[in-house]
Amino acid sequence: MKKQFTWLLAATMAVLLVGCANNKGPAQQAIAGAESTLAAVRDAAQKYAPDQLQTVDAQLAQVKEQFNRGDYKSVMANIPALNSAIASLKDTASAKQAEAEQAMVKAKDAWGGVSADLPKMVSAIQSRVDVLSKSHHLPKGVTKESLDQAKSGLDAMKSAWSDAQSAASGGDYTTAMSKAQAAKDQGEQIMHSLGMASG
Amino acid sequence: MADDKTPADDNPYTQTYVVQSGDSLSKIAQKYYGDASLYDKIFQANRDVLKDPNKIQVGQKLRIP
Repeated sequence: MKKQFTWLLAATMAVLLVGCANNKGPAQQAIAGAESTLAAVRDAAQKYAPDQLQTVDAQLAQVKEQFNRGDYKSVMANIPALNSAIASLKDTASAKQAEAEQAMVKAKDAWGGVSADLPKMVSAIQSRVDVLSKSHHLPKGVTKESLDQAKSGLDAMKSAWSDAQSAASGGDYTTAMSKAQAAKDQGEQIMHSLGMASG
Repeated sequence: MADDKTPADDNPYTQTYVVQSGDSLSKIAQKYYGDASLYDKIFQANRDVLKDPNKIQVGQKLRIP
C-alpha cells in the first residue's frame, strides 16, 4: 500500500512538473510579445498618456513577477488583460498624438497673423509710453503709478513675445501661440490703462 | 483706397482721433497726453497728412502715438 502511494505521488509530481514545464514556454512567449508591443508604443505613451503607461507597466511587472515565481498559470491568465491594456494605451496615445498634431497645425496657421500683429501692438504701446514719459501732466485717467505699471507690463509683454518667437523658431507653435496670446492679453490691459482703447 | 484725410501705413493699435470743430493739435495733445506742449508728437506722426501744425481740418483722422 505504502509502495503504491509513493508511486502515485511520484507520478502526480511528474505530471505537475510536465504541466508546469509545458506552460513556461507559452508564458515566456506571451510576456515577450507584450513587452515588444509595449516597446513600440512607449515613446508616444510617455508623451501623451504617461499615467496610463504607468498602470500598464505595473501590470507587466506583476506578470513578470508571477513568471519568476514559476506561476505560469497566473501569467497565462493575466496576459489577455495585459494585452488589452496595451492596446488601449496605444489607442489613447494615438488619439492624443493626433489631437496634439491637429492643434499644432492650427497654431502654425494662426502664427502668421499673430507674428505680424503683435509687433504693431508693442510699437503702439511703446510710442505712447515714450510720449507720456515726457508729459509734465498726465491725461485724465492715467496716474504716475499706472504709467509705471504700464512700463513694467510692456517689458513683460516684450519678454513673452520674445519667448513666443523662440518657441516658433523651434517649431513649437502651440507654445508660441500660448505665449503670444499672453503677450496680447497683457498688451490689451496696458492699452486700456493708458486710455488707448478708445478713439 | 486710402482717403486723403486718413493716414496711410496704419498700425491698427495706434489710437486715432477725428478732428472736431475748434480743435488744435495742442488741445488734442492736452486731451491724450495731459500736456499741450507735446503737440509736436502728433504733428510728426501725421506728417503725411499735415503740412503745418496750425492747419488741421475738421474730419481729418490723426494718429495719436
